[in-house]
Amino acid sequence: MTGGQAGLMNLKNDLSDTELLRSMLAGDDEALTLLYRRRQAGVYRFALQMSGSKSIAEDVTQEVFLFLMRDGHVFDPARGSVSAFLFGVARNFVLRRLRVEQLLAPLNDESDDDIPVLQAGTDLCPLEDLTRAETIESVRKAVLSLPAKYREVVVLCELQDVSYGETAEILGCAIGTVRSRLHRARALLLAKLRPVGEFEEASSATVKSARCFA
Amino acid sequence: MNCQKFEGVVSELARGQMMAAEQRGEALAHSDACEDCAMRLRDEEMLTRGLHSLAAEMESLEAPANIEDNLLMAFRARQAVVPAPIPQRRSHSAYWLAAVAAMLLIAISVFVFRWTNRPVDEPQQAGRQEEPQRKPQIVENPTPQLASNPTVSGDDVLPIHPKPKRNRASFRRPANAQVANHVTNEIATDFIPLSYMSTASLQDGGQIVRVQLPRSALANFGLPVNMDRYNEKVKADVLFGVDGTARAIRFVQ
Repeated sequence: MTGGQAGLMNLKNDLSDTELLRSMLAGDDEALTLLYRRRQAGVYRFALQMSGSKSIAEDVTQEVFLFLMRDGHVFDPARGSVSAFLFGVARNFVLRRLRVEQLLAPLNDESDDDIPVLQAGTDLCPLEDLTRAETIESVRKAVLSLPAKYREVVVLCELQDVSYGETAEILGCAIGTVRSRLHRARALLLAKLRPVGEFEEASSATVKSARCFA
Repeated sequence: MNCQKFEGVVSELARGQMMAAEQRGEALAHSDACEDCAMRLRDEEMLTRGLHSLAAEMESLEAPANIEDNLLMAFRARQAVVPAPIPQRRSHSAYWLAAVAAMLLIAISVFVFRWTNRPVDEPQQAGRQEEPQRKPQIVENPTPQLASNPTVSGDDVLPIHPKPKRNRASFRRPANAQVANHVTNEIATDFIPLSYMSTASLQDGGQIVRVQLPRSALANFGLPVNMDRYNEKVKADVLFGVDGTARAIRFVQ
């Protein structure tokens, strides 16, 4: 990339998502690059957290931006942000893909090979590090085992830190529905994690690091 | 605050969501006093921490770099094929224009179809629009009862309401094939009043009865009579008013 191109990219970096989308639809590939770099991680993580599969997440990310190239003109700024639009498209692709996957082979523990290994923090003591990793793994499995309508609100509100209002836009439902689904989803998660017995201890260890004497 | 109300806010409390300070204070005070609710709050807080840990662990994950390259290639290939994307507003208006054009085309087609298939004597019918507008349907009465029985039984005639509604179907094409034959194959004179009455009173509706009369009856109404066919019968429609009185007659060929 030449210096002039880099300068142009920096200028465009200040543009909003909507402006970048408009430029992209007008044929500006730099706008596509910027928009992709800005939003790909969220879309990828959403797909990964929803599906638990790295390959599905990659496919969905690519499909979402291909859709944006082809049908980006259907985006209406009055109805929400580009980010919410992308999450909505990603959600549809993920759910469609999961339905196909369920028909072919149900998701089970063997699909865990597909999930990237979570990197444990290095500033913690080994025991706490191990406990924390186990806790995260338990939570991840519990989230993946939720029914889709509860999983998506947990992924959006808890893991992607999307507001209730934006989640309602993405899911096409009322904010009250998002709240009640999240409440129900959390109750299901607690019910799944509690019998293991390790959840409470592990979480406590994560929070109260002073109790670690290893 | 009681346990039920506490259950409604415990998730928000554990997630650190925006709450009214008063409500938050009440909930915390309740959890201090109620052991079960305190445990419930602890569970929710632990779940929140677990979810935050999971989110933090995945925060650094990104899509592989080759996806960006693939997308850029696809984008450039697409641009080569489709040089100018259609703006949103224009595409919507194009849909509307296409829809309006389609509707116009259908309307014109229907009009042309009806125009080309209209009856050949329609101009005559149009000429007879001067006649009573609520022209009743005609029923042939096999027995001439005009002189002896001016009131006709309902079995032989179709009743005409004094002010019938305009039936769109009757303007298109008569549903009754028999009536259609009358309309298309017969030539009739104008209605000739049988008494001193205004033409307007003919518009009040009534019943029409098809009768046969001696051809000499034409002379009574000032119409020419072919003396060679003097003994033959001639068809006529008699218009009866709603009170059963014969009001007008027309001769049909």
